[in-house]
Amino acid sequence: MSQILKRLTYFKRERTSFSGEHGILTTDDRAWEDSYRQRQQHDKIVRSTHGVNCTGGCSWKIYVKNGLVTWEIQQTDYPRTRPDMPNHEPRGCPRGASYSWYLYSANRLKYPLIRGRLLRLWRKAREQHGDPVTAWGSIVEDPDKGKEYKSKRGMGGFVRGDWEEVTELVAAANVYTIKKYGPDRVAGFSPIPAMSMISYAAGTRYLSLIGGVCLSFYDWYCDLPPASPQTWGEQTDVPESADWYNSAFIIMWGSNVPQTRSPDAHFMTEVRYRGTKTVVVSPDYSEGSKFADIWLHPKQGTDAAVAMAMGHVILREWHLDGTSEYFDSYVRQYTDMPMLVKLEKQNGRWVPGRYLRASDFSDGLGQKNNPEWKTIALEEGSDDFVLPHGSIGFRWGEDRKRKGRWNLEPKDARDGKERKLRLTLLDKHDDAVPVAFPYFGGGEQASKHWSHTQHEAILERVVPVRKITLADGEEALVTTVFDLSCANYGLDRGLGGENVAADFDDDLPYTPAWQERITGVPRDRLITVARQFAENAHKTHGKSMVIIGAGMNHWYHMDMNYRGVINMLMMCGCIGQSGGGWAHYVGQEKLRPQTGWLPLAFALDWARPPRQMNSTSFFYMHSSQWRYEKLKISEILSPLADPAQFTGSVVDYNVRAERMGWLPSAPQLSRNPLEIVRDATAAGVDPKEYVVQGLKDGSLGFASEDPDAPNNYPRNIFIWRSNLLGASGKGHEYFLKYFMGAESQHGVLGLDLGKDEGEVKPEEVVWRERAVEGKLDLMCTLDFRMSTTCLYSDVVLPTATWYEKDDLNTTDMHPFIHPLSKAVDPAWESRSDWDIYKTIARKFSEVTQGHLGVEKDIVTVPILHDSPGELAQPLDVKEWKKGECEPIPGKTMPNLAVIERDYPNTYRKFTSLGPLMDTLGNGGKGITWKTEEEVQKLGALNKTVDIEGVSQGRPRIDSPIDACETILMLAPETNGEVAVKAWAALSKITGRDHTHLARPKQDEKIRFRDLLAQPRKIISSPTWSGLESEHVSYNAGYTNVHELIPWRTLSGRQQFYQDHPWMRGFGEDLCVYKPPVDTKTIAPIKGHHPNGNPEIVLNFITPHQKWGIHSTYTDNLIMLTLSRGGPIIWMSEVDAKKADIEDNDWIEAYNINGAITARSVVSQRIPEGMAMMYHAQEKLVHTPGSEMTGRRGGIHNSVTRTVLKPTHMIGGYAQLSWGFNYYGTVGSNRDEFIIVRRMDKVDWLAGAPRHILTKVEGE
Amino acid sequence: MLTFKVLSLLLRYPSEEIHAALREMPAVLEEEQLVPAPRRKALLALIGELQGMDVIAAQERYGELFDRGRKLSLHIFEHTHGESRDRGPAMVQLMNNYQECGFELAARELPDYVPLVLEFLAERPLEEATEMLGEAMPVLTLVAARLHERGSRYAAVLDALEAIAGAPDAADELRRKAAEEGPDEAIINMDKIWEEEAITFTHESALEGCGNNGAATTLEQPVQWDIGLRRTTTAPDSNR
Repeated sequence: MSQILKRLTYFKRERTSFSGEHGILTTDDRAWEDSYRQRQQHDKIVRSTHGVNCTGGCSWKIYVKNGLVTWEIQQTDYPRTRPDMPNHEPRGCPRGASYSWYLYSANRLKYPLIRGRLLRLWRKAREQHGDPVTAWGSIVEDPDKGKEYKSKRGMGGFVRGDWEEVTELVAAANVYTIKKYGPDRVAGFSPIPAMSMISYAAGTRYLSLIGGVCLSFYDWYCDLPPASPQTWGEQTDVPESADWYNSAFIIMWGSNVPQTRSPDAHFMTEVRYRGTKTVVVSPDYSEGSKFADIWLHPKQGTDAAVAMAMGHVILREWHLDGTSEYFDSYVRQYTDMPMLVKLEKQNGRWVPGRYLRASDFSDGLGQKNNPEWKTIALEEGSDDFVLPHGSIGFRWGEDRKRKGRWNLEPKDARDGKERKLRLTLLDKHDDAVPVAFPYFGGGEQASKHWSHTQHEAILERVVPVRKITLADGEEALVTTVFDLSCANYGLDRGLGGENVAADFDDDLPYTPAWQERITGVPRDRLITVARQFAENAHKTHGKSMVIIGAGMNHWYHMDMNYRGVINMLMMCGCIGQSGGGWAHYVGQEKLRPQTGWLPLAFALDWARPPRQMNSTSFFYMHSSQWRYEKLKISEILSPLADPAQFTGSVVDYNVRAERMGWLPSAPQLSRNPLEIVRDATAAGVDPKEYVVQGLKDGSLGFASEDPDAPNNYPRNIFIWRSNLLGASGKGHEYFLKYFMGAESQHGVLGLDLGKDEGEVKPEEVVWRERAVEGKLDLMCTLDFRMSTTCLYSDVVLPTATWYEKDDLNTTDMHPFIHPLSKAVDPAWESRSDWDIYKTIARKFSEVTQGHLGVEKDIVTVPILHDSPGELAQPLDVKEWKKGECEPIPGKTMPNLAVIERDYPNTYRKFTSLGPLMDTLGNGGKGITWKTEEEVQKLGALNKTVDIEGVSQGRPRIDSPIDACETILMLAPETNGEVAVKAWAALSKITGRDHTHLARPKQDEKIRFRDLLAQPRKIISSPTWSGLESEHVSYNAGYTNVHELIPWRTLSGRQQFYQDHPWMRGFGEDLCVYKPPVDTKTIAPIKGHHPNGNPEIVLNFITPHQKWGIHSTYTDNLIMLTLSRGGPIIWMSEVDAKKADIEDNDWIEAYNINGAITARSVVSQRIPEGMAMMYHAQEKLVHTPGSEMTGRRGGIHNSVTRTVLKPTHMIGGYAQLSWGFNYYGTVGSNRDEFIIVRRMDKVDWLAGAPRHILTKVEGE
Repeated sequence: MLTFKVLSLLLRYPSEEIHAALREMPAVLEEEQLVPAPRRKALLALIGELQGMDVIAAQERYGELFDRGRKLSLHIFEHTHGESRDRGPAMVQLMNNYQECGFELAARELPDYVPLVLEFLAERPLEEATEMLGEAMPVLTLVAARLHERGSRYAAVLDALEAIAGAPDAADELRRKAAEEGPDEAIINMDKIWEEEAITFTHESALEGCGNNGAATTLEQPVQWDIGLRRTTTAPDSNR
């Protein structure tokens, strides 16, 4: 038979295979797929994001069916980047992808909750007194009643409340507290506004209207890098993640990009395919380490030594022996390296003093305005003195004719002629003298857990100097910052003398050989990295970048870690260049439309200034952590400082800083500020006068001078968008004991200074033997889930989730402004934060009746950065309290402002935009502009209020969308017209036209609903130092370098040198290596309470985790399943063996601060001597009782306590001036140690709470 | 049947209003006789106990029991779907079910909340109600067992439902499970319960669970209980 008969022509056999039998085609029924298809059916898709503190700001599609959220997936429609660059999408991470089930999970807060015991007291009092305010007073003024509910905080006992009843109680508490103790005794804590800025603003607007205190967060989280304000006068400004793709050499230093920046990491991995080299510096084998071409793993906490040695190599090879024209001209124009510094004689030695100023010259170099605030250099060649443009003296107070010299043009301000500044005196000096530098690496005071070297505490190195005669006839020696820096880095320049190295192998600070002994990093590898980093920057003009993070910043001496790295970047001209610079992201979610948001958030439209406070000092003070302070000033003081000038303890420095107007205070004065004004007025004295006089004669004091006096501590606190007690609260157990008064719940194991013999008490603070426990009368928390903080609160209000409210979100990682939007109504009885505070404001207005009317309030305001006041004490530090000077508000003490508070109209004011926008305008970072036009347009958009009263005719801010529109209308970043105005305002001060940066977008106005359609790129504004354009990605310092706008520092330049007397006193005038401090938390307790298992001591590190964003998601079953499902502590195999611990054993970690119970993870990833517990695992899930405390094991912060650093308290000194979340004390935590041992008995404390504790010391 | 309504009220947060209505409840139970006598006695004990309590104390206790955590959640899907993506579609399905019967949700509550379901059942013919309830019994029996472990009289409500709808097949196993969990939600036997089988990288194990064998050969569908509970299938485990 022929083939044609046999072969199929029109058919083929049903079962055919392909790909060599690997695949077959079948026709089985596929109806089963329908069920999956049905699952994808939905009614609508809504754009939202997750307002969690992660810097992601990712766009998500929320699927809704029948009014229920069914799931979410990543959105992919971001505006494109430029050609030849990857796009942003898709952004997101597994945590965000699991969010939707928070909405309906058992952990969701569904109803307003109130402590049952309090409700009982309240109803009874309410019945008895009728008036709610009187009722509240009858509860809190009765110690027994107070104790009845305060002592049970953390022990359950919540009942559901009714919105009306509960908000009335909250409002009554506020009114009572304001009336009796003062508005500054009401405080609120909420972090990172950028993640949901309307929700943040809701609470702070309410607080600001009633005169309450808004607490900072960035510093408290210790994410604020003080090195940034010190060097640049800028809180933090960083490149967007897309700019990583422009880099040619990336160091990830203490930052775990793939784990903690999941949606952005792709830019880093992509640019590697273009040949960019990646180096990781991390003590553990982190996820990021896998991406490293070179992985350096120094001993944790010694990063400054690595950076100093790299700086040593860079200076030697590119600034001394070799040259780079690019580096040379960069440091001359953009840094303080050419600035002259006066040497001072101390104990017979020369030490670096302050910058030379115009005022040091006989006629002040012709400067009538601020000669003390203008720095001086020498001209290259002629050797004439030069008064360079740009120092801070030119920023403020210049008259119309002389304005316009605050810029970085390389000119002499006297004649406007161009001058090249001299960098070094080496080739032309009058003398070369030994100058003393402090060395802290000898280990005299530091913890014994780090390696130290035997070099002297004072190292003299020869420096070239010039002799000059000053106005007062003094013969002075001066040198340049460059020459001082070279000496500080220990570089031999052929001038002879000791302590300088000509060879990298010399064992002298700060050579690569020296650092090897401290950090363990092989010198050759370190030299390679430093060399390539600089060589790349030289060839690319600055495209070397350091991505830096919490691993560096959470140490007590974080400034040294950071300045070490920043110095490298400045030496190599990387700051302000595309693809280069300093990329610090931790805790830094950039509030892009900041100046539009400020009036809304702090009610600046109704009253200025608001009350703002630095949280670190606030919590240190009021959770009584200062009562346990074991760190002595002598342990951190420079060996060069005069100890007689630096007496007292840490808390004393904080009090002094408050009195001098450097730091804010809260509560402020020792009396109710309403009462102060009332008394002053009755006495016929100006209230400000009255306060100054009272302070002087001692009849009035600062609250912090006696924080346990009944008048002097906070009484009410609001916490929202935050988990203070479950995540950020350093000194968790102290919070429980003192702040909350949860007496049977806290696990403080140490003794306070009163019970510990031989401890010295503070000088400035009254010591009371019995500290107040349970300072707060009311703790009110807003959340969508039952967090640790909620457990300890009195009132818990259920908020809308991120898919149930309208809000705005921005981040530093991408340049878009993004909405949160209401995909569905808030479930159960929850409400948006905006609506909750609106409700409270309404209730508050109602219950003021008979108690508060139109009152006058006196506010103390610290000397603020970016205000003319920042030029307070130019040359030295004088304290009025010691009689060294007069108390002058705004100069030697805080500013004073009398503010009218129309309490019954609080609600009216809350819901409308006030008139100060018309009369005072708007602004930020030292520039202001008018806003009448925007107010008018906003009125047209939002409609105006037609009800008679204070708000009649004003634009409405009723709904959260109204609030969004207010921000978008007022902010230069979202309103092109305002951007042009803002640039024009800046142009007046710099004398250079910057408006071209915004003109192309002048007509652009972004509205809330535009954002729902697609996230929008922001418009460039002078609030930020980077540009957003079609040519460059956002990078910090870009406009400083390319538009010649000065940095907001004393010299107007990036500063290697810090000349404030306290910086010198603590040995941080130049960057040095400082080992971690000794927190002394182990010895008093180690071995005292044996459980039969071996005890080991480990350094306690708390990095950001993989299975949660802070504490959010850590109670989500999906994330719990991916991790070990509860609290875990990582340790090395070597340490585990020593302690007889196996992987997954129950272990306890403790010190005198408290105790944690967790599972062990034994891993090769971790180096010996270190334990790692991811921040922040709460004690909600799988946490057994502690053998030490007898209470349930704590959170990671149970073993920490805040320790403040005096240099962060400096104020009134150019860039070293306070600003909200800008500068101030920070809550470091990585110097801490723990005792780790296997648990003997795992007790789940089921049933009634028991106290199995054998003995808690101090009780 | 009004009995369902009574049971619904008993499982609700004990508001003042409910508290005041407690005294009318025994009569309804007696009259309808839906709950058999021994179980009814337990119910009356619960009612009596609630009547003897201060309202706030009763509320505190309710919150501690039902508003904290998953184990005693009164949302049925918390137990069947937990955090999974199936939960949304299941709730949607359930709402459709109510709508088809002419009921719109009028409260800010999820459709799988037991008191809500009971209120619905009270409006339905007994036969239909019993059938629907039967499907939910595995969850309700488990929660009841957990309440017994805690010595809570609230178990009586769920026991009554079991008496009406009949015990689920695996009742004993569920009770054993609850007993094993111990008194606290943090489990002493946690390690044993969560232990996973060690993975061996053999040829066979690699082929297992990677595939479409289950899916292609069965027409059975993943979770589609009319009120979302009937977990009929052993559908492809890899796809879950």
